[in-house]
Amino acid sequence: MQKSDGIPHFVEVNNIISSQSEDQVPAELSSWLTLVASQRDKRAFTAIFTFFAPKIKRFGIKQLNTEAMAAELVQETLSKVWNKAHLFDPSKGAATTWVYSIMRNASFDMLRKIKTKNELLLGDDIWPIETEEHSDSEVYADHLMERQMVAYVDQLPEAQQLVVKGVYFQELSQEQLAKQLDVPIGTVKSRLRLALAKLKEQVGESHD
Amino acid sequence: MIKLHPETPMLSSFVAGELPASVSVIIASHVEMCSVCQQEVERLTLQAANACFGESNVMPMAGVDSVQIDDEFGSFSLEAELDSNELSMLEAITGMAPERDTIVNTAVVEDKEIEVSGVRFTIPRALRAVEMKPFQGLGKLSRSRLSLEDGDIRTSILHIDKGGSVPTHTHKGFEITLLLQGSFEDEMGTYHAGDFIWLDGKHTHQPVTKTGCVCLTVSSNAIRFTKGVSQLLNPIGQFIY
Repeated sequence: MQKSDGIPHFVEVNNIISSQSEDQVPAELSSWLTLVASQRDKRAFTAIFTFFAPKIKRFGIKQLNTEAMAAELVQETLSKVWNKAHLFDPSKGAATTWVYSIMRNASFDMLRKIKTKNELLLGDDIWPIETEEHSDSEVYADHLMERQMVAYVDQLPEAQQLVVKGVYFQELSQEQLAKQLDVPIGTVKSRLRLALAKLKEQVGESHD
Repeated sequence: MIKLHPETPMLSSFVAGELPASVSVIIASHVEMCSVCQQEVERLTLQAANACFGESNVMPMAGVDSVQIDDEFGSFSLEAELDSNELSMLEAITGMAPERDTIVNTAVVEDKEIEVSGVRFTIPRALRAVEMKPFQGLGKLSRSRLSLEDGDIRTSILHIDKGGSVPTHTHKGFEITLLLQGSFEDEMGTYHAGDFIWLDGKHTHQPVTKTGCVCLTVSSNAIRFTKGVSQLLNPIGQFIY
């Protein structure tokens, strides 16, 4: 498709949409998705739909064999695009890659359902849709924190260690612990208080 | 340091969603552990998306743009491009109520840990929805089958205790082992966590572990798999039925 100067922008969009076979990806895809995410903008979604629907259908016929299944894949994929547009992060990659992942996952689960009668959805676990960098680092920090805490607990006097480990690691109640250690419940409480104060001190120190 | 990875053609089939569930799951589990393959999968996904939707020359945007779509589109009708089926589908989709609360994968993913024979290990995320049968022990071996219902292909989690070994065996079909934790040796070398080990009928091996190890295994003895790797790259339908 030729792009010439002076053509009003809407004409260009119109051309792109009417010549889908030329595989020209509209530059505005990312902005359209952003509009769907922020305002549930139906015009933007219509543009997205018009671009993707025939291509998803082609993919669906190849993967799932029938026209009807392919139409179901179009519906399934574009419904997710409509509902989950806010998960699309334009700084992390192209809109087409994002839509491809959604389509591939849906197609995989549909095919599996046909072949094995199994309803278990695996696609989004095998190929996580949104980059998990964010949650990864949180989980990682948690692990580090946990390991650090365990190290601190191990430095406590043994009597206090037993109480902390019982309550926080084995999730025993203070009553159960008192019985197990054969001490009055007041002792359990005071040991726990001392231990926590010490731990707080140490965590505070290392964070200064 | 991970030494053994799935080969690129296998990763391409993985990205295209053409592999059986069990094989997809074990590759995904490797990818979770391996930054090299994460990048490769990203590259192949971009390639597959381009092949499907056309080349995207657009640079990723830095932030949210406030595009005024009405001005851009002018007054022509986008809907004119759609047939009646597509139009009603479009209506059905945009008529849906917002479902922000049921978003896949937005909650922080919690790692699922399990314990077998006193060893704790983390289940790969790709497997978290898959039901695990109880562990069955035999000497230093414990095995749990995963309910993947993937034809003749079986997926298991195998724990071998310190000093344990698996008797010498060969495979009519194929066997993929992903070492999740610990290490083991066989006639061909020493393997470490993250290694993705592909064996077929040509190999005979006797894995031994000094430290103990946990593996995810996918294997098949089906006759139709005797062609090995090349068969695995076929689309899913051809080999399950």
